[in-house]
Amino acid sequence: MPGLRRLYAPQRVAVRTDARGAPTTVEGVVVEAVREEWLVEDRWWTPKPLRRHYFELALEDGRALTVFRAARAQRWYRQRA
Amino acid sequence: MEIACVIDKRLATPPRPGHAGGPWPGRADLQDPVAAAEATESMVRALEALGAGVESERPGEAFFALDGLRGLHGGSSAGVLAAVRRALGKGKAIGTAPTRFAAFLAAGDWPRPVPVAALRTRLGVDGREAEDLVEALERLGIETVRALTDLGADQVADRFGLLGLRALRLGRGEEEPLRPRAPHEELGEEIELPEGTAGRQLDRALELLVDRLLATPQRRGRTLLGLRLGARLAAGGSWSVEQGLGRPSAAPRVLRNVLAPRLEELPGPATALRLRALGLGPPARDQLELAVGGDEPRRRRLGAAVREVRATQGAEALLKILPVDASSRVPERWAMLTPYPEL
Repeated sequence: MPGLRRLYAPQRVAVRTDARGAPTTVEGVVVEAVREEWLVEDRWWTPKPLRRHYFELALEDGRALTVFRAARAQRWYRQRA
Repeated sequence: MEIACVIDKRLATPPRPGHAGGPWPGRADLQDPVAAAEATESMVRALEALGAGVESERPGEAFFALDGLRGLHGGSSAGVLAAVRRALGKGKAIGTAPTRFAAFLAAGDWPRPVPVAALRTRLGVDGREAEDLVEALERLGIETVRALTDLGADQVADRFGLLGLRALRLGRGEEEPLRPRAPHEELGEEIELPEGTAGRQLDRALELLVDRLLATPQRRGRTLLGLRLGARLAAGGSWSVEQGLGRPSAAPRVLRNVLAPRLEELPGPATALRLRALGLGPPARDQLELAVGGDEPRRRRLGAAVREVRATQGAEALLKILPVDASSRVPERWAMLTPYPEL
C-alpha cells in the first residue's frame, strides 16, 4: 500500500557465533551474555514459512540488543522486540 | 470567574441587527490589516501593562479575567474597568460576564434575546462556514441563541454536526478557559526596498530580513513561535500575513521556507518589507508543553499544526503509528507508519 512503512522492520547486522550457533560478537562488539533466546515459527502453511531464532543479548558496551537468525536465508538481523 | 471583553469599535464591529447597514466611524481602518494588527497589539499591551493575562485571537478584540486584577486596582471590578478605560482611551467597548461569549455580547451591546448571528465570529472557523451555520439555523426557525440551547445535543449534532455542537456549548456557557498569550517583547525588523524590487530580489530581501531578525540581540537565543510578514505598498497602504511555525524555531532556513511562499500573496510592488516575531519560545532544544483544553479546540489546533508541519517539513514529515497486529510474534507486524490524516 503506498505511503505505508513498517515499524520495527529487521535490519541486517554482522554477527559471529560460537559452535552452538549463539552470537559471540555483534558488529564487532563482544556479547557479554545471552539473556534469553526463543524460536518463532509462523506461516509454515505457506510457500514462504518464517522461522527465526531470537537472542536477547547484553553487549560489552552496555547495550541490550535483540537479534535473530533467519533460518531460510541464514542471515542475522537486529530488531526491536 | 469574571471575564472582560474589550472591543476596539473601529476594528471589530460585527454585522448585526440594527448595525448591519454601515460601518461604525473609523471602520475604514479595516482596509489596512497592518494598522489593524498594530492597533490590536497596542491595546493588548496596554492591558498587559495593567497586569492582565490577555487572549486576543481576532483584530480589535481582547479578553481577560478580572479576578486577579481587583487587588491591584482598588479592590473591585469597577476599579479594574476604570483603569482599563483610562489606559485604552476612547473608542473601546467593554463588557463583563462569567464567560467569554457573554462578555462579548455585553461589550457589543447585542439585543436580547440574542440572535444566532452573534455566533458568527465566535466559532473559530472561517466566515463562510460560520455563515452557513447561522443561515441554516435561521432557515429552520432557530433565530435566537436561547432557541438553540433549548435543543438537545443529539439533535444539534445530527443536524449541524460538530460546528453546531460548538455553537450549542457556547450558548450554554460551556467554554474552555481563557488562553492568555505570554506577553512578548517587541522584536521586529524592516528594510527599505529599491523601486521595482520583485522576484529573486524580493526573495533575497526576505533572506536579509530573516537574518537581521535572528541577529537581534534582544532575542537572546530564544526560538520564534510565529511571524508577521508585512509590506508597505508602493501604491499606498500596507499588507501583512501571519505565519505560524508549527514548532518553535530559530533556523533561518525554516523561517525562509515558510515565508517565501507568502511573498507571492503581495498585492503589488512594495517599498519596504517588515518582519515581526509574534512570540518568543524557549531556546532551542527546550520542550514546549502543549496544553489545550477541550476536544474541539484541541482538534482544531492539531489540524492547524499538522498543516504547518507539512508546509514547512514536507508531506512525508508527519506520520502516524497504525496498530496492525499487536499479538503477532513477529514484531514488524505490530504496527505500520502511515501518513498522518488531514484533520
